[in-house]
Amino acid sequence: MDRRTLVLLFLLLVSSSSLGSSSSSTPDIRVLSAERRIDLTSSIVRVFLTLKVENTGASQASDVLLAFPPTEAEHLAMVKASTTEGKRKKKIYVPLSVNPTELPDTPNGAHLFSISLRNPLKTGEAAVLEVLYIVTHCLEPFPVEISQSETQFVYYHDSATLLSPYHVMEQITYIKTPNNKVESYTRVDPTNRAGTELRYGLYHDLPPYSYSPIIVHFENNNPFAVVEELVREVEISHWGNLQVRDHYKLKHAGARHKGIFSRVEYQSRPSISGVSSFKHLLARLPPRVHSVYYRDEIGNISSSHLRIGSQKSELEIEPRYPLFGGWKATFVIGYGLPLQDFLFESPDGKHYLNFSFGCPLLETVVDELTIKVVLPEGSKNPSSVVPFPVNQQLETTYAYLDVVGRTTVVLKKRNLVPEHNIPFQVYYDFSPIFMLAEPLMLVSAVFLFFIACIVYLHIDLSIRKS
Amino acid sequence: MAPKPISSPVPVAWYPSLAVLMLSVGLLVTASFFMVCMLFDVKPCHHLFGGNPFMRSETERYEATSSRRNRSLSKEIATGAVASVFLGFGSLFLLLATGVYV
Repeated sequence: MDRRTLVLLFLLLVSSSSLGSSSSSTPDIRVLSAERRIDLTSSIVRVFLTLKVENTGASQASDVLLAFPPTEAEHLAMVKASTTEGKRKKKIYVPLSVNPTELPDTPNGAHLFSISLRNPLKTGEAAVLEVLYIVTHCLEPFPVEISQSETQFVYYHDSATLLSPYHVMEQITYIKTPNNKVESYTRVDPTNRAGTELRYGLYHDLPPYSYSPIIVHFENNNPFAVVEELVREVEISHWGNLQVRDHYKLKHAGARHKGIFSRVEYQSRPSISGVSSFKHLLARLPPRVHSVYYRDEIGNISSSHLRIGSQKSELEIEPRYPLFGGWKATFVIGYGLPLQDFLFESPDGKHYLNFSFGCPLLETVVDELTIKVVLPEGSKNPSSVVPFPVNQQLETTYAYLDVVGRTTVVLKKRNLVPEHNIPFQVYYDFSPIFMLAEPLMLVSAVFLFFIACIVYLHIDLSIRKS
Repeated sequence: MAPKPISSPVPVAWYPSLAVLMLSVGLLVTASFFMVCMLFDVKPCHHLFGGNPFMRSETERYEATSSRRNRSLSKEIATGAVASVFLGFGSLFLLLATGVYV
């Protein structure tokens, strides 16, 4: 009897523990404290989140989940997580990988991302995670249309409480606006505003997936520069040059401009007229750049300044007209770079190009980016290594002195921010003997001309003998 | 271990001088190619350059030109080949020096 009850108890324990671990991994973790700092000072919204999580479950936790509402997840450009290691003065940030996941029981279509921890969290242990996520196109201009002499006000939609799959014991949110002019904000007590900082907190002991929507209506005159489409062509020539051509379709994505545009008023009173418009854009180019051109369909645009330095070069461009809300500009920027700065040989004999992904313009969002890397004629086995997911395909381009065409690696990505300007590599096989194909083509063309001369001089075309 | 950078087989600073040098040598050899026509008694030159003061009797002319023709033909092809090599490389370096990196 005793043995049977013992066996039954044992079976019950085993079954209950297995049930407990398989039912849902989310309640095992508890967020002790969450601090959110939302930076609204630019047209791109950056949120810095510091989470202190504790494992209250029975088993080890190897990942921590983050939840985002569907509207925010649609415009999410980047999620980065890191954890600190080391003592106070020698703190180093170790990046962690973040991947989107799906769980069957998430309410209201929330999107989940899972942060993989380097060392699994044991029961009772706590860890501090720093998360940065960047959202684009989420500042909604209101009023939707403004005239030349009005300033731009935008809505920011968010929640006062952190949307999380776990219980949050303590949380606080700080929102930083670019200036003091906040028209209105939703009050979710306790709320306080001091100058440019808005505080929502301290909230205690909230259940998972708690969401209290807030709207902040504030003035934001930062340039809302959005590149709708950017096509970058990088042409590799083993004779010593890397040619880059960027085709831009630029748009001002803020409050639309209505009424007339008076150039006189714009130039005479710049502090009142056209405060939300922008005239200049800064592009950061690699150090040893040469033959830079800036033109559009009409021709060359001369309003630009180039400063070449030893660490970086800066190109300040001014489109033909200042950009007001809803206005667009299309242009091409091209430049040449020395080959030895970007093309290297890996130990296994493959050549690889090390170039930076992303748009050289500062503080601009790119809706759709296409990078085409044109490899020299005769290259085989192209492959690319990019730190974030992109769409890859292969094409053939024809350029000067081509017979079979050049293999082109095409990489496409949507919704990019300046934090995506990190290097990527394209590997390919190329034997230098193929470089001789070009001069040999020219030599044979000239030789054909000489043969034609000889043939003409040696044949007899006379009708009768002289 | 720093990765090994790849640069062009010929230093880029040499491109303009190499272009000028090779093109001038190539044009000199082309000039000598066309002069072969005038120095040797090749028959169709008569059509190009009018009357020939060195005209002799027909049989003599045929004998002379047949053997002379073979010699001059090989010499012409050789000159043409050398000229085309120099002109071909010279035009490649000219294209590279002006910025058309082929």
